[in-house]
Amino acid sequence: MATTTEVKILPVKKIAWDFTFAFLALRLWLGVRALFVGIQKYAAYKSVAVPLIDPSTGQPDASGVLVNVSVKSYALANYMGIPAGLRDKFAHDPLFPKFALTLFDRMLGPAFILTGIMLIIGLGTRLSLLIQGLLFIALTVGLVLIDANDGVAYLGIHIGLVAAAFLLVQHNRFVVLKRW
Amino acid sequence: MVDKLNRRDFIGATAVAGAAMLLESCKSNTSAQTVGLKKSSLNTINVALIGYGEEGKVLLESLLNIEDVRLVALCDIWDYHRGEGQRYLHKLGNEVRSYENYEDLLAKEKDLQAVVIATPDFWHAPMTNTCLKAGLHVYCEKMMSNTIDGARSMVQTMRETGKLLQIGHQRRSNPRYVFTLNRLLHEAKFCGRLTAVQGQWNRAVKEDFGWPKKFEMPAPMLAKYGYKDMHEFRNWRWYKGLGGGPLSDLGAHQIDIFNWWLGMTPSSVVASGGLDYFKNHDWYDNAMVIYEYSLPQGVARAFYQVQTTTSAGGGYFEMFMGDDGTIKMSEDPSICAIYREARADAVSWDDLEQKGYVRAIQTSAEATKVDVRETAQLAQYEIPVFFNKPPHQPHLENFFNAIRGTTKLNCPADEAFASEYVIHKANEAVASEKKILITNEEVKA
Repeated sequence: MATTTEVKILPVKKIAWDFTFAFLALRLWLGVRALFVGIQKYAAYKSVAVPLIDPSTGQPDASGVLVNVSVKSYALANYMGIPAGLRDKFAHDPLFPKFALTLFDRMLGPAFILTGIMLIIGLGTRLSLLIQGLLFIALTVGLVLIDANDGVAYLGIHIGLVAAAFLLVQHNRFVVLKRW
Repeated sequence: MVDKLNRRDFIGATAVAGAAMLLESCKSNTSAQTVGLKKSSLNTINVALIGYGEEGKVLLESLLNIEDVRLVALCDIWDYHRGEGQRYLHKLGNEVRSYENYEDLLAKEKDLQAVVIATPDFWHAPMTNTCLKAGLHVYCEKMMSNTIDGARSMVQTMRETGKLLQIGHQRRSNPRYVFTLNRLLHEAKFCGRLTAVQGQWNRAVKEDFGWPKKFEMPAPMLAKYGYKDMHEFRNWRWYKGLGGGPLSDLGAHQIDIFNWWLGMTPSSVVASGGLDYFKNHDWYDNAMVIYEYSLPQGVARAFYQVQTTTSAGGGYFEMFMGDDGTIKMSEDPSICAIYREARADAVSWDDLEQKGYVRAIQTSAEATKVDVRETAQLAQYEIPVFFNKPPHQPHLENFFNAIRGTTKLNCPADEAFASEYVIHKANEAVASEKKILITNEEVKA
């Protein structure tokens, strides 16, 4: 029996860089979007008294009067997962369970921040896309219940982007962890 | 492989650092919520407060907020008030010596630079004159005196001694009043030609002040200080010979604004009033006054009413009206308003808004016109400026800064005399039921 010495050359798997960068752009956009949506939930505008500036001199007005200016600040104490206006509407909807409102309010901001960071650094990309998709669906249910149809359409765009990300996720590179 | 690990390590470390920075930035920012007024402790100007009644208590609260001023003595003829003041100050860690008699205070307090006088009006002139002659600067509550002669003597003593005498028309140092006068009335000529002024103080009916029977002052002591009995001592504002009635008590602040903002005193006054509600007072309990001001552009009439027999509805304000617009001012910011006719185009709302002088009020529904003679609805704006101190504090600060030589008094006694003179004349007009002419010469002390 003759033994063969033939060496089979396997085709080299070419990296589809176009798809890679397409997914990278989409991943980073969704990540940044989620991260800052989450951070904004810790933001609040506060009125701060400052001297009125005399426009002719650039110095405080001689009378000593003050004016209020709106200053944005971030603090854990400012946290509001669901804006007050929406929360009141949800609270009055009989189909919206109260415990879900509280739970959703508490977890929405941290969930967006966490999944945003995960997407940006590439840690559990599929998992974070799935969580974001579920969040958008949950938000859609809420907005449908209160007849906020503009918001529903807006969330539909986000769902489309998440779906597109799943189609491209096989080209995921530049990640901390490839799995999940 | 090594490269791959390094990259991941780098990204992981960056993520941890970013998260740490995020958490740091999310710490509660409490500094903005801790704005407070510091109570004085180390001071450079030693001051005594003479009179710790209702007004004295208000002034004390402002005094304690002012840095570099030390309250060292308190004087009141009523031991009940003295004890109350001492206990309050003790709680704040501010020990003061207390006196029944102001002359005793002047004899014993050798390190005083100034006094604040908040006693009944008929004591203002003798106390102020004595304190000025003792070499002290004086902040004296309005009215300067219950008599024109008493007020004039104060101005003369101020001139003779060269000491400062500030009269407590505190709106003259109120930043909102100063701003609105300088920026809107003068600079922007907001009202156009001033043709009318209206002011009022509607104060709700209230019971006379009482007193705890066990702290009643003995009759000889009351007589020594000029009072017939405890009721008269506690309610001196209502009695002739002690106070000047409601025009003096409430109207003085606002009629002073008429004179200050118009830059002159009136040329005549007519008035009507009466003691129609209360049975146990001397002074009338309501009055309506009309002054005529001979402004360079023409005559402006100023109506003022003071009511102590009604509800407080409508509140208290001074309203300056011209052919272009109206400014309604009050020590209560919620009552203030500003209106401008659409045809007045010398200065635009946009320009004033850009400078921060006014702010548009968002309105939704259009008001219905109920009469064809009604002027079209005006755009609504407000004056957004404010200050964050008790109302009397800026005036006291002005007094102490004038003592230090860093500013001039906002209400020196000679200016206050001219303003208060026409208030005395309004009281005369009520009594005489006749128009009284006022010359520029007679308002000078």
